[in-house]
Amino acid sequence: MLLHLLVLAPFAAAILMMATSKEDPKSSSRLAFLFGFAFVAMSIALIAAGNQATEAIEWFQIPGAKGSVYYYLYSHGLGAWMVFLSTGLSLVALITGRNTFETNYRNFAIAIFALMGAMNGTFLAADAVLFFFFFEAMVFPAAVLIAGFGGADRKKAAMTFAIYTLVGSAPMMVALWYLVSMADNSLVLSLAVALQNLDPSMQMTLLLCFLLAFLVKTPVFPFHGWQAITYAEAPAPLSAILTGAMSKAGVFGFIAWILPIFPLSMKVVDGMLWLGLLTAIYGALMALRATDGKKLLAFSSMSHLGLAVAGVFSLSESMLPAVLVLLVAHGLSAGAQFYLMGIAERFAGTRNIEQLGGLAARNPVFGSLFGFVAVLSLAVPGTAGFVGEFTVLMSLWDMGPLPALVAGLCLILSAAYMLRFVQKVIFGKPAREYVDGKRMTALEGSSISIMGVMLLVFGMHPAFITNALQLFDESAVQEMNKVTHPAAVQESQTVEASADTTGEAEVDENIAAVAQPMTEDDLRQLDSNLKANGFSDEERASLIAQLKAMSESEVADAHEEAAESNEANVKEASENE
Amino acid sequence: MTNLPLWIIPLFPLLGTILLGTIALISSGSKKGPSEGFVGALSVLFPAISFLCVVLLAFGMPEEGIRQTLCNWIDIPMLKVDIGFLFDGLSRVMLLFVTGIGSLIALYSIGYMHGDRGFTRFFAYINLFLFSMIVLVLSDSLLLTFLGWEGVGLCSYLLIGFWNHDLNNCKAANKAFIVNRVGDIGFLLGMLCLATLGGSAILNYDALNKFIEMLIAGGHVELATPIIAVAGLLFFVGCTGKSAQIPLLTWLPDAMAGPTPVSALIHAATMVTSGVYLLARLSRMFSVIPEVLVVVLIVGMLTAFWAAVAGLFQNDIKKVLAYSTISQLGYMFMAAGAFAFDASIFHVFTHAFFKAALFLGAGAVIHALAGEQDMRRMGGLIKKTPVTACVMIFAFLAIIGFPGFAGFWSKDLILERLYTNAPFGEFFYFAGLLTAVITAVYMGRLIIMTFFGEYRGSKEKEAHIHEAPASMLIPMVILAFGAVFAGYLWADSMGIKFFEQTLAPVVSDAQNYALGRISVAHVNPMTFACFGTAAALLGMIIAYVIYGTKRLPRLHKKWGSAPEGFKADWTFFFDYIHEIFIVMTKAFAFIADMIVDKILQGIQWTVGAIVEIVGDGVSSFQARKVRVQLTLSLVGVVALIAVVLMTGGLI
Repeated sequence: MLLHLLVLAPFAAAILMMATSKEDPKSSSRLAFLFGFAFVAMSIALIAAGNQATEAIEWFQIPGAKGSVYYYLYSHGLGAWMVFLSTGLSLVALITGRNTFETNYRNFAIAIFALMGAMNGTFLAADAVLFFFFFEAMVFPAAVLIAGFGGADRKKAAMTFAIYTLVGSAPMMVALWYLVSMADNSLVLSLAVALQNLDPSMQMTLLLCFLLAFLVKTPVFPFHGWQAITYAEAPAPLSAILTGAMSKAGVFGFIAWILPIFPLSMKVVDGMLWLGLLTAIYGALMALRATDGKKLLAFSSMSHLGLAVAGVFSLSESMLPAVLVLLVAHGLSAGAQFYLMGIAERFAGTRNIEQLGGLAARNPVFGSLFGFVAVLSLAVPGTAGFVGEFTVLMSLWDMGPLPALVAGLCLILSAAYMLRFVQKVIFGKPAREYVDGKRMTALEGSSISIMGVMLLVFGMHPAFITNALQLFDESAVQEMNKVTHPAAVQESQTVEASADTTGEAEVDENIAAVAQPMTEDDLRQLDSNLKANGFSDEERASLIAQLKAMSESEVADAHEEAAESNEANVKEASENE
Repeated sequence: MTNLPLWIIPLFPLLGTILLGTIALISSGSKKGPSEGFVGALSVLFPAISFLCVVLLAFGMPEEGIRQTLCNWIDIPMLKVDIGFLFDGLSRVMLLFVTGIGSLIALYSIGYMHGDRGFTRFFAYINLFLFSMIVLVLSDSLLLTFLGWEGVGLCSYLLIGFWNHDLNNCKAANKAFIVNRVGDIGFLLGMLCLATLGGSAILNYDALNKFIEMLIAGGHVELATPIIAVAGLLFFVGCTGKSAQIPLLTWLPDAMAGPTPVSALIHAATMVTSGVYLLARLSRMFSVIPEVLVVVLIVGMLTAFWAAVAGLFQNDIKKVLAYSTISQLGYMFMAAGAFAFDASIFHVFTHAFFKAALFLGAGAVIHALAGEQDMRRMGGLIKKTPVTACVMIFAFLAIIGFPGFAGFWSKDLILERLYTNAPFGEFFYFAGLLTAVITAVYMGRLIIMTFFGEYRGSKEKEAHIHEAPASMLIPMVILAFGAVFAGYLWADSMGIKFFEQTLAPVVSDAQNYALGRISVAHVNPMTFACFGTAAALLGMIIAYVIYGTKRLPRLHKKWGSAPEGFKADWTFFFDYIHEIFIVMTKAFAFIADMIVDKILQGIQWTVGAIVEIVGDGVSSFQARKVRVQLTLSLVGVVALIAVVLMTGGLI
């Protein structure tokens, strides 16, 4: 029920909003806030409720496909947190939009609700076609919002945004169709099984088609051409949603669709890792030179998301929680910064940071909040950003010291551009004379500071986020099996067996590794390190034995757990048969 | 009362931060700030309660220390870290002077910051700093220490740029934060390096020590040393950032842009010594990698010498003290490099008193002269501000190592250990002694230029010179007492070894292990004392001969308060090296922005334009008549149906 509500109700809310008066923003804003709060409450309930799925409802059948497309929603920790970002940021966008768009507030709210519904659908869809449907549907409300409420160059920005992202995901549509025509239905499991039967070059082509869509959406260098102009020209509340929630759809796609479906070769993984790191460095360098405040924030987002992509493709055992914390932290901090930049633009009439300055003296409360949020985005320990970046760094270190070093360089650069940004906007003296615009209202200030406080809370207790994570656990896979067409179940019995050993093996391994304590793996790591340093086998063996003796108790625990999980696996396997 | 929980120590400054921050935020919009008396009382109260707790805990502390785990912090597959506190001999010493001197300087600041618009904000930052510093020294794992480590860096940034309407202050603050960030990345990677060796559990200090013990016991030290050495070097990079050692020392002289109490508390007494603390805390790890300690030794020696020479040329009274701080930190690192971790912490302890006293004295002088920091416009102040002068002269005698004063005991100990423990001990001893002479010269110059001779400033200002108010004088006097007597906690030649004993449970294992492998030379300690005294006296005589009798300071209008013969922002050569990196980054950014991005944009728009042109071309095919359109659509539908049927139908 919750899932249906979160996906469908925003569209209903958008329609209901049409009933309110266009001329009177007061009444329409009240209704919008009410809906916004309700959705935030629902998304929190969704996180608290844990994994759940709706009944799979047959939707329609794609010509040429064996099974039908389902309207089938499934929530896991990752998706639920993304939904939280989407609803939360939308609510704050509705609040800040109230003071920015006096006359046309109703239409703004309608588009925001439509966008929220599409985003929630993207993050909760269990069916690939349904996912693609929502993935594309996100573009339209956003483009309409940019064209309707954006800055001076809004037409061009809206067109660039819409065409670039739609063209980017067009190959994915073709690839998806091809894959669906092979598979029993369009759920992850059957897609993965179908992929196994294709020859490697075809697999590679399909993978590239899928990757392109997510690379554009995130965006990753060199597919970021739409980003800067879109974020800069879009109204600030929308920019916040775009970077805080919608860009996550790209990273989400990597985790939830690419990793389970495609068996990745080391070459692809390495390539994506370095592409992510390159994006991180490139974004940071661009942010160092940007003079448009919103472009600066856009590049800073790009840098952080590049780091997240690199973290995803480090494929370490702590990748999922690490990337999730990083994404939530980035969503909150980047979102808050965009809202604040929008308020600064409203107040001072420009978003060129060379023309700003002195806001700390001129509008002290705003200045304090601006500085506070900037510090939170610097990944200072104690904030969620630190937990995310440190754990991602740790995953990268697993791949070797060089990626971690590059990511470290990124952290230094992020301090450089962020401090420059803060200095130009709130410190010093105003660069020019201007009449004060509308100040930050109490409601705006408090909603943004709640986001800040949340970053602190998650920074000191990230378990709120990481505990919600049971992506692709056994029960989920079983749920999906049940949905599979009765006829297909019998047919796929044999196929499934092979899938368990190949396609899903990687994912399963990840899960198994997640369940184990790290000592085992670390020993292996150490072993390989020592080998690289040129130690003989005997020396290594004795050292490892030493280490093992030291952490005897831990290892014992690990064995117990491993045995338990093995048992569970065996049990489930027998049940399946 | 000794069963106080440990978290109560950082709790009070944190409460203070939240409370004062809220007051600052609420009152920031109004014309008149909140009552200074009320805010000042609050801001001293919280650190003082914290100090009281530390004292109570310190008296009841068992030999092996108190360990308490508060709760879990991060719990993901590769990283399990708890928020836990460790109160042992080392953290006891550090906490005592951090909270003690912190409270005193908060008291001093009430007078110093009187009438400033950001009065409340200032104290919120000070409380946040104390919170971070307490977490830094009280934590039981590297990751939580890192929280404090970056926290103090953040507070340093906030306080250097406290008067943020002046962009120069902001630039100094940015520089401090970014240079520190470079060091912090070293710390971060060092932690990752250790974690590869033994999992995230090893980030806990006790576990790390146990791990090293196991390695030693099993005879496998050589196997693990490459990784440990890399980790050690990375941690040392972190220390050079925080403690302003070569090559990351440039931020500290610039950091003097902050209010003087901040310089005293953060950039002299507490924060900058956290690098030394980290080395002592990780002493067990460093004891198995003597090669890295040699690097520490050499870096410490070079920094001590170089900064002392740089101190000779400064005209800004705070910059002299800044370079002197860097130089003294170099001494501490030299001591740590010579396996004398206890001596380095002892110097941290005594240095905190006399350097804080010197800075507060300088602050009182600047206060008296209404913001004048150029020593060439001072002189003869001993008659006008006798108490300040006495405090500073006592602290001066302490820093140059005059017999009987605090610095004498600690510096002598370091020099002694250098001679006996370090490889090429004679060389390092000599370098330390030479630096001691230079220290006495530049500090003598400071005292002579400030307090003796004739007043050289403008006549109008002379009338306004006044002694500081009591709230400023009381902390100064207390610190001056510390500068005189703090050394008697470990007066080696008098047989008092109290300080050594309190640190023994923490560092003695490491030191004994390291020293067990080299032959320790035995020399009569009195010889070192004599040489040390001679160095101090020689330096004072040189200073008197050069600055007291002959050379009167010249004033250059053009140069402002720049160092003798140099530009105002000249921080002695290392800025140029940093500049190379900054220019390189800027060049890369330029390439990314102007070349790569332009090319990508070009491709993007070219593709777009081609599509548009093609589209325009195709539109000429468009059928204008409705009938033709309908026919064409029908044909299309038929074709689609045909395709659908051929591929297997809809069902």
